[in-house]
Amino acid sequence: MTPLVEMIAIEKHFGGIHAVNGVSLDLHPGEVVGVLGHNGAGKSCLMRILSGAMRPSAGEIRVGGKTVEINSPHDARDFGIETIYQTLALADHLDAPANLFLGRELRTRWGNLDDKRMMEETRKVLARLNPNFRNLSDAVSRLSGGQRQVIAIARAIYFDAKVLIMDEPTAALGPAETAMVGKLIKQLRQEGVGIFLISHDMHDVFDLCDRVVVMNRGHSVGSYRIDDVSKDDVLSLIIKGALPEDWALRNRERLQ
Amino acid sequence: MSVVSGEVRAVASASGPSGETLHKLSALLTLALLIAIFAFGNAAFLSVNNGLTVLLQTSVIGVLGIGMTMVIITGGIDLSVGSVLALSGTVTGMLVKAGMPVPAGMAAGVAVGALCGLANGLVITKMRITPFVATLGMMLIARGTALQLTGAAPISQLGEAFGRLGNGALFRLVEKQPNGLSKVIFPGIPYPAIVLLIVAVAAAFMLRRRALGRHLYATGSNEEASRLSGVNVDRTKIAAYVLSGALAGLAGNILMSRLVTAQPNEGVMYELDAIASAVIGGASLMGGVGTISGTMIGAFIIGVLRNGLNMAGVSAFIQQIIIGFVVILAVFVDQLRSRR
Repeated sequence: MTPLVEMIAIEKHFGGIHAVNGVSLDLHPGEVVGVLGHNGAGKSCLMRILSGAMRPSAGEIRVGGKTVEINSPHDARDFGIETIYQTLALADHLDAPANLFLGRELRTRWGNLDDKRMMEETRKVLARLNPNFRNLSDAVSRLSGGQRQVIAIARAIYFDAKVLIMDEPTAALGPAETAMVGKLIKQLRQEGVGIFLISHDMHDVFDLCDRVVVMNRGHSVGSYRIDDVSKDDVLSLIIKGALPEDWALRNRERLQ
Repeated sequence: MSVVSGEVRAVASASGPSGETLHKLSALLTLALLIAIFAFGNAAFLSVNNGLTVLLQTSVIGVLGIGMTMVIITGGIDLSVGSVLALSGTVTGMLVKAGMPVPAGMAAGVAVGALCGLANGLVITKMRITPFVATLGMMLIARGTALQLTGAAPISQLGEAFGRLGNGALFRLVEKQPNGLSKVIFPGIPYPAIVLLIVAVAAAFMLRRRALGRHLYATGSNEEASRLSGVNVDRTKIAAYVLSGALAGLAGNILMSRLVTAQPNEGVMYELDAIASAVIGGASLMGGVGTISGTMIGAFIIGVLRNGLNMAGVSAFIQQIIIGFVVILAVFVDQLRSRR
């Protein structure tokens, strides 16, 4: 099966600093891949390259097997790659529909904003995520962290994303809302969406991911199926950049 | 009117639609209170003629304020509008003096204003200079150009056609009396007031119903988020400054036409009145908040205050002091509201 996305030998330099150093990774339909690492390990940088917020210094990106150039967030969206940013990237003074459709507003025949239809569509997609969501015409600055996150997620899924990049999607959320996001990720996976999940929360990672890719100082130090590693193994990868020495021994049977 | 009031609901301020309406209501109340006080002090204040005078005086600041509001919504500021007003009016005056038909000359003047705005927008977005500094530079450049072009001398004797926009009126009723003098039955609606109304409705419609308007609010609200959402932030900002410049050009033409003289010295400190109108009307210099209807109320508060104080014989110096206090008070009240 062709991967949804392949990033091949991606490099990103800032002056003399190598933020991303020859990293390759791929993502298949219906797969959740955890992208892990310390702050500054290069994972956010790598994801920003895929979402079009940053251009790579070198390397190749393939979408559905075809080599593409992603020069802007707009390009990424055209390829079906949607990103939910850690900072939530919402315009605080606008309401939920205005945020959901920001940059892709629905228009009437005369080119005017079709606020009525945007409101209806927003109601539909939000109902799927959180049936209790009612403050649709409030400025999003007045909403809770969870409600804001719902809007950010709704924005990504409304436009039929094939690839979803989630940067710490539950960092600002309470337990109930975290559970809701978890449920949503599982649902999207069933629908065949591929998800890159950047997270520091080991519980989330082991609950949601099929595979983890760990980065350390700009390098990828490995890609493992979640069943093959323990939390300690992953922590070792993150901290030391290598698996514990006894890993191969412990997994000998399974590896054969 | 429905367009103007519609903004309130759609683009809520930081503290929500109710807060936005509340602010506008308190501003409107202030305006009514001012009118009541001045009317009580001087019966002539409420006369039709004085009403028209206020309308005329406010139209220039109002048109500038509308452009300023768009810029402020993006989180920027345009300090150049007073100077651009002078440059545009001067260019129009020179072209008309050189024999160009008045409408063409005025169109050229507005185009000069738009070009100044384009320059502002490009300096801000491409050279990454802050709006304050970029438009401060343009303020000096435009004023200097106007003075250099004319040798600082006003251009007069521009003909009747040049004065029509500023002095004419719609539905003016004049009756010839038997003694040969004409008597004004109804002074008519001054053209500047009509221009102001058209510009205000068009701007409110743009902010409320067009993608550009939505993007202006989004850019001022969260520039990074807008960019990541695929909004062309640079183009949005440039549009705001071009519109502000063009409206300054239009205001310049109205003003010079009223004086039937092109004055390179006109419009000094008008940018501050325009900013004050927007801020009194609830626009936030932090960006993301502001409405045309609010700015109109703000412009009329300043206009009524000036006019009423003039009629009460208060000196121009004291007027400045009072308007200064009003601006600070308006922003303070606004902050109290959003802090709760």
